This record gives sequence, C-alpha cells and structure tokens, in this order.
Amino acid sequence: MKRLFLTASLATLMAAAPAIAHYGMIIPNDPMIAQEDGRSVALTMSFSHPFEMDGMMLDTPVSFSVTHEGTTTDLLGSLRDATVMDEQGYTLDYPLERPGTYIFAMEPQPYWEPAEDAFIIHYTKTYVTAYGDDEGWDTELGLKTEIVPLSKPFGLWEHNVFQGIVKMDGEPVPYAEVEVEFFNDGAGATAPDELMITQTVKADAGGVFTYAAPSDGWWGFAALNTADYTLTEAASGQEKAVELGAVIWVHFEEWPGQ
Amino acid sequence: MIRALVLSGLAVVAPLGAAAHQLVVFASVDCVAVSVEAKFSNGKVTQQGDVRILDGENNLLTTLQLQSDGTAQVPLDSVDHSGGLLIEVDTGSHDNYWIVTPEDIARKCGS
Repeated sequence: MKRLFLTASLATLMAAAPAIAHYGMIIPNDPMIAQEDGRSVALTMSFSHPFEMDGMMLDTPVSFSVTHEGTTTDLLGSLRDATVMDEQGYTLDYPLERPGTYIFAMEPQPYWEPAEDAFIIHYTKTYVTAYGDDEGWDTELGLKTEIVPLSKPFGLWEHNVFQGIVKMDGEPVPYAEVEVEFFNDGAGATAPDELMITQTVKADAGGVFTYAAPSDGWWGFAALNTADYTLTEAASGQEKAVELGAVIWVHFEEWPGQ
Repeated sequence: MIRALVLSGLAVVAPLGAAAHQLVVFASVDCVAVSVEAKFSNGKVTQQGDVRILDGENNLLTTLQLQSDGTAQVPLDSVDHSGGLLIEVDTGSHDNYWIVTPEDIARKCGS
C-alpha cells in the first residue's frame, strides 16, 4: 500500500514537472569572424538540454549544409565525431573564403522520445558573419520549418530584443509557441524555479515573436509544431506523432558601458 | 591610424571607427594578382576611392584607383609581397583595410 502511494505520488510529480526542452545546437566559436580572427569558423553540433548542460546523442544528421550568397553547400561528409556534453556530437572547421553571412543548417534524424510519446526533429541553424559584411543576415533557407530573423541574428547587445517569424512550409505560423533557453556553458546560471529554465513566448497572428535576452551569451529559440505526418516507432510498430522544431541560435554580446 | 598596424601575425590595431554605413574591404589572392573589392555595408558598390598598397613594413608600394564596380587588381609581380600586404581603401569619407598575409598567398599558390 505504501509502495503504491509512493509510486502514485512520483507519477503525479513527474506529470506536474515542466517538460525539459530539447535543442538541436550549432554553436560557432564566434558569430562574427573578423579578419583578425583568422580565415575559418569552428562549429560544434549537439543535441541537449542547454541550460542544464545535459547532452543527448546526436546521430549522424540527415543533412548539414552552409548557405552563402545564395549557394548551399553540403557539408555532411566533413563533420567530425566529437563528444559534446558527454554525448555524441560533431565538430567542423569551415574556411570562410569571402565576406558575408554564412548560415549553417542541420536536419537531424528523428529522435524518439518515449517520455513525450513522439519523435522530435529539430531543424537547427545559426548565422555567422565574416569580415565585417553582414549581407544575407535575413536569409530564409526554405527549411520545412524555420525561424526567419527580423533582428540581425548576431551583433545584438544583451537586453536587446530578438524578433523572428515562425514559418512552416514557407508560411507564417500564427500564435506559434516558441521556447527560449540559455546555453549555460561556463555561465553558472541557476533558475529559482524550473519554470524559468525554458521560457515560452507566443508569436502574434503573423507568426512574429519577440524576446529580450537578460544576459549575454548564446540563446536558443525553438518554435515547436506537430507535423502533419507520423512515423513508425520501431519497438511498438505504432504510428507516432512528430514534433517539428524550428531552432535558431543567437548570440547576445555583453554591453561594455557603465 | 592604419599606418600603426603591424602585419606580422595579424596583430593589428583596433578596427576603424564605425560610420552609419561602413566600408567593407576584402581582398582575395591567387598566384597572379590580388583582387580588391570594396562596398558599403548597405550593399552599395563603392564607385571610387584610393587603393593604397603597403608592404609588411608599412611602406607604401603603390596607389591605385577603384574601378566603378568597386574593384581593383594588383599584379603580384608588381609588388614585394614577401611580408604580406596591407590594402587600404579610402573614399575620402570612409576608409578601411584588408590584410593579405604571406599565409594567404601561400595557401592559394599551393605552396
């Protein structure tokens, strides 16, 4: 009887706890590469709970590419295995041959999440500018689902707002839910309540959302929607829902003034 | 200010002060020439300006004029590039620079 009570209590607690957000991640060593920084950018790819620095396995992605000046290049074969947050991830050193904005994008394999009884596919991207030229910062890649930046997705001061349009199949998603989370790498940030680990904003009727970051560092924005298709879960053979995430990583810079 | 720049190891002084729209200067190199490109950060082509070529010791080697498409060509055999090159572009109201390092040239020449 006692055991039954304990089990029931734990189940209640688990159900009441806020869902921990998953994030695909593409993090460059610097989102603004100046000529003094060298001629390449170093990228780290992972799948994690970024505030808690809790890694998950990232299988070989379905695709990994860079888009620059309207040309998209497949980089999947250039990824190198790496351990990121104690789990399988990838790194890549990519030469920046010309100025402009480079958009790195990843489509992961579907991730089966038993706790959510659904697959997760996070279309993840980040924008890197090279050599003082920000042309292309608002590029839309045409991904299945995507956050198209309305604010330049680099060179933001802490406390600035970031705005973007959530799109699915190229169309804005009215009132889309966007989860926001800080990459707590070396920052030691703590949350007084679990509800504050992942913050949530909703887009307006035009799919536009706004968020002001409270500190410098990398912030991940994940607009989550349910796919209009299902995938077969291998163990059960059942069709399961698919969560499609449009993820963008944006770096906010420390304000140097008083 | 640019003249205070030290080429070795890309140890340069702070970037030039920002204007409302900056001048973006870039130079690519092959074994034949340095191709200089200049445009404003709003995307407009820089249609005129001085292009000064300095060596690794900060000595002025030559001065060219930007073409109307915002480019200029510097034949490599016309300058001593052994210590790298500093490319300055000055429109009168905006200026900026790009450093071509010896490593840039070696990488493109496959040596």
